[in-house]
Amino acid sequence: MDNLKSSKLLKMISYILLPIFILLIGLSIFHFAFLEEYGNTDATKFVDTEMFANKYAYYIADNIENAKNQKNGNSRMFMQIEDLNGDKVYYLDKNYMYSYYNGINEYVDFIIIDKETNEIYTNIKIDDYNKEIENMKNAPKYWNYNDGKIETNIEYINNNNIKFNTAFQYFVIDKETNETHSETRNIENYTVYSKYNPEKTSGLTNYKIVEGIYEFCLQNKSLPIYILPISIIGTFLIAVYLLCAIGHEKNQEEVKLSYLDKLPYELIFFVGAILLTIFATGALECINIANYITLIFAVLLYFICYIICAIVGVTTIKRIKAKSFIKSFFIYKMGSWCLSRLKKVFITLDEKATENKRLFWYYLLFIIVSIMLACLFYTGIAIILLIGFWIWAYYRIKKYILDQEKIKNALKDIYEGKNDVKLDDENLRGVLKEMAVYVNDIASGFSNAIQESLKSERLKTELITNVSHDIKTPLTSIINYVDLLKKENIQDEKAREYIEILDQKSQRLKKLTEDLVEASKVSSGNVKLNLEDIDIKELFNQTIGEFKDKFEEKNLKIETQIPKKDIKIKADSRYLYRIIENLFSNITKYALPSSRVYIDVVEKDEKFVNISIKNISKDKLNISSDELMQRFVRGDKSRYTEGSGLGLSIAKSLSELQGGKFNITIDGDLFKVDLEWKMSY
Amino acid sequence: MYNILVVDDDKEIVGAIDIYLKNEGYNILKAYNGEEALKVIEENEIHLIILDIMMPKKDGLETLEEIRKNKTIPVILLSAKSEDYDKIGGLNLGADDYITKPFNPLELMARVNSVLRRYVSFGSIKKEEGKKVYQTGGLLVDDDTKKVMVDEKEVKLTATEFNILKFLIQNKGKVYSIPQIYENVWNEEGFGAENIIAVHIRHIREKIEINPKEPRYLKVIWGVGYKIEDEK
Repeated sequence: MDNLKSSKLLKMISYILLPIFILLIGLSIFHFAFLEEYGNTDATKFVDTEMFANKYAYYIADNIENAKNQKNGNSRMFMQIEDLNGDKVYYLDKNYMYSYYNGINEYVDFIIIDKETNEIYTNIKIDDYNKEIENMKNAPKYWNYNDGKIETNIEYINNNNIKFNTAFQYFVIDKETNETHSETRNIENYTVYSKYNPEKTSGLTNYKIVEGIYEFCLQNKSLPIYILPISIIGTFLIAVYLLCAIGHEKNQEEVKLSYLDKLPYELIFFVGAILLTIFATGALECINIANYITLIFAVLLYFICYIICAIVGVTTIKRIKAKSFIKSFFIYKMGSWCLSRLKKVFITLDEKATENKRLFWYYLLFIIVSIMLACLFYTGIAIILLIGFWIWAYYRIKKYILDQEKIKNALKDIYEGKNDVKLDDENLRGVLKEMAVYVNDIASGFSNAIQESLKSERLKTELITNVSHDIKTPLTSIINYVDLLKKENIQDEKAREYIEILDQKSQRLKKLTEDLVEASKVSSGNVKLNLEDIDIKELFNQTIGEFKDKFEEKNLKIETQIPKKDIKIKADSRYLYRIIENLFSNITKYALPSSRVYIDVVEKDEKFVNISIKNISKDKLNISSDELMQRFVRGDKSRYTEGSGLGLSIAKSLSELQGGKFNITIDGDLFKVDLEWKMSY
Repeated sequence: MYNILVVDDDKEIVGAIDIYLKNEGYNILKAYNGEEALKVIEENEIHLIILDIMMPKKDGLETLEEIRKNKTIPVILLSAKSEDYDKIGGLNLGADDYITKPFNPLELMARVNSVLRRYVSFGSIKKEEGKKVYQTGGLLVDDDTKKVMVDEKEVKLTATEFNILKFLIQNKGKVYSIPQIYENVWNEEGFGAENIIAVHIRHIREKIEINPKEPRYLKVIWGVGYKIEDEK
C-alpha cells in the first residue's frame, strides 16, 4: 500500500490520465447535450439540424436589420458599389460578422432588395445579380422571401416555423409601462434571396471544423454512453488514489511540505484563480474561433488550466494532510498575530493601568487646552492665554526636572554608598512623590543592611576574640609546663624529641590565635586608626634595619630604590609596620637564600606612591596570587612550617583599611607585592 | 625573701608560676579568685601581686581597685586579653605592668624582677647635682661612667649604641628621625648607611628592654623616628 502511495511512476501516470478523463467527461457531456438539443431528428448532417437553421435565419434577419440601418443612416456597414446594370449595390464583407455565426456567414450568400428604392444589399460581389437570383432558387439549401411568402428547402425552417420566427422578432421596451414585448421585424418592404453554398469557399476554415464535429456527434450517438461512465470511473479512481497518495514519498512518515506549500494559501489560490481565468477565457475564445490552430491552442490551454488546478489542488491536499491548511492562510497568521498583539496590549494595559490613566488625563488636558486656544484664536484672548499657558508649562516642567534631579542625586548618593540619604517628599507630587518614597525606603533599608552587617561583623570579631581568650588560658599552661618539662633533666632521647615537638606546636598555636584575632579584627575593619604623616624613606630605613640580621642570616641582599626627596603618606604607623613586618618576615621565611630582594619606591602621577617589593621564592609557587591573599593559605611547601597563613590577608586588609592598595603578582618564581598609597602633602 | 601573691582561677597556671618564681628564690602565696586574694593581702605582707583579670567572684580589675584604695603594692596584671584598651585600662587603674597570656616564662621573670627592684629601691636613685646622669623610669644613663643601668642592673652597650641612647635620653619624649640622630650623634650629614642607625637601635632595644617587640623605653614610631619615653 505504501509502495503504491509513494510510487512516482503511478503518480505521474495519474497526473497525465486525469486531465484526459476529465476532458472526455466534458466532451461526453457536450455530446449528450448536443444530442439532447439536436439529436432527436434523424439528421446525420449539420445542415439538417435546427442549429444550422437558427444560425442561417439569424444571419439573414440580422442583415435585413443592417440594411435598414444603412438606409436610415444609423450604420455604415455596407460599402456602396455599382454593378453592370447600374443598380445601387451595397456590399458587406463576409468576414465582417465573423465569430458569432461560427463561420456560417462564409457559406451563406444573400441578396436583399429594398422594394422602395430597388437598392441591393449583398455579401457577394458579382456582375449580374439577376442571374444569381435565379441560381439561388436551385441551390441545395436556399431561403427566399418574396411578397410575404417564404420559399425554402431548409427542413427545419419548414417544419418549425414558430422557432424560426424568433429570428425575425425582437424585443422592445415600452417606455411608459416599462414592459417588454416582442415585435416582429418588419421585412415587408424587402425581397430576400439567399443560399447555402458549402462548396463555394475552398480551404480549411472553422466552419468546416464545426460542421465536422457536429456531424461526428450526430453519426456516433452511442459513443458517450460508453465513454462517459468509463471516464467518470477513471476520474474517480485517479482522484481517490491521488487524494491518498499526494504528499507521501518513499521512506518518509510525514507529509513533506515544499516551499510552495508554505506560501500563504490565499496567494496561491488567487494567483491560480487569476491565471485560470485568463487561460480559460483564452481557451473558450479559441473554441469560439474554432479553426485548427485555435483548437490546438484550446487543448494546450486546457492542459495549462489543468496544471494550475493541479498545483493548487496538490498544495491544498498536502496542507490539509499536514494539518497546516488553516494555519497557512495569511489571514489566519494576521489574525493570530493581531490577537496576540491585542492580548499583549490588554495585559500591559492591565499592568500599566495607572500610567495609562495618567497619560490619558494629561493628554486629554493638553487636547482640551489646544482646542480651546484654537477656538479663541481670533479673539485676542488666546494670545494672553497662550502666553499664560507657556509660562505655567515652563514652571511645571522646570519643577518636574528639578524634582527629578533631586531624586537622581539621591539615587546617586545611595549608589555611591552614602547611607544617610533622606529625600524631602513633601513638595513632590504624583509619580515623583512615589519615587521619592521608594528611594527613601531603599536608603533606609540600605543603611539598615549596613548596620546589620556591621553588627554581625562586630559580633563575629567578638566571638573570635572571646574564643581566643578561652583558648589562651589552657594554652598558657601547656606552654609553661612544656617549658618546665624541658628544664627537667630527662635522659630519654625520644622524650626530649617529643617535648621539642610539643614546644613548637604550642608556640605555633599561640601565634595562630593571635593572628586569628587580628585578622578578624582587621578584616571587619574593627580597628582604630591613628593616621599620621609617614616618611617612606625613614620607614624603610627603620624596617630594613630591624630585619637586617635576619636578612643577613639567609644571605639576602636588599636592593632599595627610594627617591631622595621626602615622600610622605598618611598611615597608622603601627599598622603600616605590621604590613612591612609581615612581608619582610615572609621574605626571611620563603625567599631563596643568597638572592636579592628589591624594594622600589616610585612616585606615580604626583598623587600616588607605588612601593614594590620583589623576591625570588625558594619553592615553586603553585598557587595564584588571589588564593595567597585569602586567609590561611600558603604555598604548599610552606604549609607545615611556622606561621599562621594569615600574614598576607592581614597585610592586605590593613592596607585597604588605611586607604592603600595591596596587590600580589606571581611570575614564575618572582614574588612581587605592590603597595599603592596616596601621598600626603 | 620577697612574698609574691599569684592570683589566677586556673590552678595549673598558678602552679607553673609558683615553680618559676620559687626557682628565682621568691616566696609564693596563692589565691584563686579576687576575694581570696584580698584576704591573703590582709593577712600577709605581700611585695608583689601577679593578678589575673578574668576570674570568678571578684575579677582582677575590681580586686586591683580594692588594693589601690590603701596599698601601693606593685601589681602585674596577667590576662588573655591582649587589646590595647585592656592594657591601658589596667595600667590606668594602677597596675605596674601588664603581661598577656600565653606568656614567655623568662619575660615574666624579668618583669617580676624589674618591678620588684623598682619598688624596693623606689626613690633611692637620686640625681646628683653636677653629674651627667639621665634617667627615665628604671633606665639610667650615666655619661660620666658611661654606664647604663636598667632596673639597677648594668647593661653593656657599645660606644655607638651608648651615644645614640644618650642623645635620645637627653631629649627624652622627643622624636628624632634617623638623619637627625645621625647629624646629632656624629655631627655630620649621613647618607647611604642610614639603616645602620636602625640596626644599632634594635640592638639597644634588645639590651635594655624586657620585650624588644613591645619596648618600654626606646620606642619606635615607624616611618617617623625614635624616642625615649619620658617616665616620671
